[in-house]
Amino acid sequence: MREILTGIINAMRLLFSLDKEVYEVIILSLYVSLTSTLLSGLVAVPCGIIIGTKQFPFKKPLVRFIYTMMSLPPVIVGLIVYLFISRRGPLGHLGLIFTPTAMIIAQFLLVTPIITGILYNGAKEKGEEIKRVAKTLGANPSQTLILLIKELRFSIFTGLVSGFGRAISEVGAVMIVGGNIKGHTRVMTTTIAMLRNMGEYENAIAIGIVLLLISFVVNSFLYHLQQDS
Amino acid sequence: MFKIMKKSSLLLLLSLVLITSILSACSKPVDSSSENGPQQPTGLQQSIILSTTTSTENSGLLDAILPIFTEDTGISVKVVAVGTGQAIKMGEDGDADVLLAHAKASEEKFVEEGHGIERFDVMYNDFILVGPADDPMNLSTDAPSDILKAFSLIHENNGTFISRGDDSGTHKMELALWQELNIETTGKEYVSAGQGMGAVLQMADELMGYTLTDRATYLSMMDKLDLDIIVEGDVKLFNQYGIIAVNPNKNDKINKEGAEVFINWMLSEKGQNLIGEFGKDLYGQSLFIPNAK
Amino acid sequence: MDLRIKALKKHYESKSVLDINQLHISKGTFLGIIGPNGAGKSTLVKILSNVEDATSGEILYNGGGFSNELSKDMTLVFQKPYLLRTTVYNNIAYPLQLRKLDQAEIDNRVISMMKTMEIMELKDQKAWTLSGGEAQKVALARALIFRPSLLILDEFTANIDPSSMVLLENTIKQFHEGYRPTIIMVTHNIQQAKRLCSHVAFMINGKIVEYGEMNEVIFNSQNTDTQKFISGEILI
Repeated sequence: MREILTGIINAMRLLFSLDKEVYEVIILSLYVSLTSTLLSGLVAVPCGIIIGTKQFPFKKPLVRFIYTMMSLPPVIVGLIVYLFISRRGPLGHLGLIFTPTAMIIAQFLLVTPIITGILYNGAKEKGEEIKRVAKTLGANPSQTLILLIKELRFSIFTGLVSGFGRAISEVGAVMIVGGNIKGHTRVMTTTIAMLRNMGEYENAIAIGIVLLLISFVVNSFLYHLQQDS
Repeated sequence: MFKIMKKSSLLLLLSLVLITSILSACSKPVDSSSENGPQQPTGLQQSIILSTTTSTENSGLLDAILPIFTEDTGISVKVVAVGTGQAIKMGEDGDADVLLAHAKASEEKFVEEGHGIERFDVMYNDFILVGPADDPMNLSTDAPSDILKAFSLIHENNGTFISRGDDSGTHKMELALWQELNIETTGKEYVSAGQGMGAVLQMADELMGYTLTDRATYLSMMDKLDLDIIVEGDVKLFNQYGIIAVNPNKNDKINKEGAEVFINWMLSEKGQNLIGEFGKDLYGQSLFIPNAK
Repeated sequence: MDLRIKALKKHYESKSVLDINQLHISKGTFLGIIGPNGAGKSTLVKILSNVEDATSGEILYNGGGFSNELSKDMTLVFQKPYLLRTTVYNNIAYPLQLRKLDQAEIDNRVISMMKTMEIMELKDQKAWTLSGGEAQKVALARALIFRPSLLILDEFTANIDPSSMVLLENTIKQFHEGYRPTIIMVTHNIQQAKRLCSHVAFMINGKIVEYGEMNEVIFNSQNTDTQKFISGEILI
């Protein structure tokens, strides 16, 4: 119990201490997870909408595949990316191993099926109707797409927040491809895993609370964006 | 109204998440020594929890000798392999019955503070400096058995060095060496990984850097690595293992008798021989040299 | 808009749901389509408004094929309309925004339309909070706002209260008198067709069994089934 209390006190101290190392870790976490989520959104939102509103061969197996990928364990994604970008891997010459870029790639792969799946569901439910309204009111194809995105904004919002939540909280993939290198690829989750291994529960809890606070702030921010739109 | 309800439910959800996360953060490995299975003729409880370091576990030594111990005594051993820091913390918290570690100073402090009963030397192994096979800093010719010189050469030439950075015994050993040289380790060539030995060896391989490792972990992985032994045989690199029974006054779940049986067995002629033999068939050399008194 | 249908057929798998040999709806006609459930009325209007494709056959709009330009000049109002997830004002303004009218013109037209429809007080209300009748008014306002020359209504007053129905009917009547568009209205309600339509078509089993000017068909029906509809013997 003592550890929890001191952990909470430490969390507050960490947040207000302006300790460079702590802020580096927090900023890198946000940078990696926000970048991967946004890049993923650029791909996954149109994909989800297209899969949800269009008929094409092998659609059912594709959807089943996406659903499976939605619950893909991060360590597996980490392992696959690692094998591709390690020096012996097919993309080894790019020198991506143990870089923030590698972490973004891994999280991108992790998050894309989640956003695609959520968008697919939203589009499947409403997409036909939205397309029909657009058509009957005289919208051209690009105006129809804009309307789809506007009308499905709640799905997009849900997808992005879920994706970001997954990205910022996962440890398996970023640990493997990032390597938890101090000042370079160390993020909040890998810090927590490391501190636990070192038996430093207090600091682990402290960073855990910081992680929760950040998730809360980002979620509330996006929530309000959604409310105002 | 709608909005307010949504907000408060979000808050509720968040606090739930907070509580569960705190609860799970402080849950400890379950102590299963209290599980009373069928009674053994010795009348001892069936299992003990051994808290040890990842490098010990990775070497494969425990997998080789523990089944023989269980056969001899009927006591099964549950191994929790963590960093040295946490291994000692587990002892302090009474979450383990026996400690097998290689950080002598911390271990002696552990006994002094009354967390453990007595510390015994068991065996030692040695650390080695490994690096890329082509040895870009030429350390294997300039300092084949002088770790301090090798370290200072790496530092002077801005060579890539991967540090465990996880407060482990290996990390402490490395830090002590830098300190002896009065070198501040900074810069992007000094990579602090915060991970176990296996992960750090792979990282050294990927980044083509040097790292300090125990011989056992290196030998068990060397087939998969482009890393060679660069420096070895320096007395400074010898690594003494100690074994300590956790003080049973911490809680009534601690298996004092089991711990004593295990320690006596490890220090016995049979235990010591098994330790000495380990690794010879695979690597042609002992990974651990037994030295119980 | 002038419409000519030639040998229009629609099959769902092997089942024929629509089979119209020939139909001419001349410009300015207000056509009521009447018939029992499953007669193919909704399928016909969906195909006419290009929401669905026909299996075979041809439709000529003003003598030519369907085009993007045409699609901007026609619309379909559903029985259960889909309103955009925004305010009432934005819903009604949306077709004008698509046509890139300037903001002042949009504002003028939307406000005067809302006054006609008696929904000014709903201006800033979110569409998903409206009642069924209110939603239908917004959907109709959204359809009329860009003054299409072909307006298709699919049982658009089926689920609304009588007072709203009167208002909607009057609005459509005024729109027809004002701009002389072609209007095609699917309805269950013969009285409603009598009140509004210049022409009427009776459909049974995917076929048009009788078509003509309203008075001619009502008073001088040649078809025994339609006579039963008109006399109320068959409830539609």
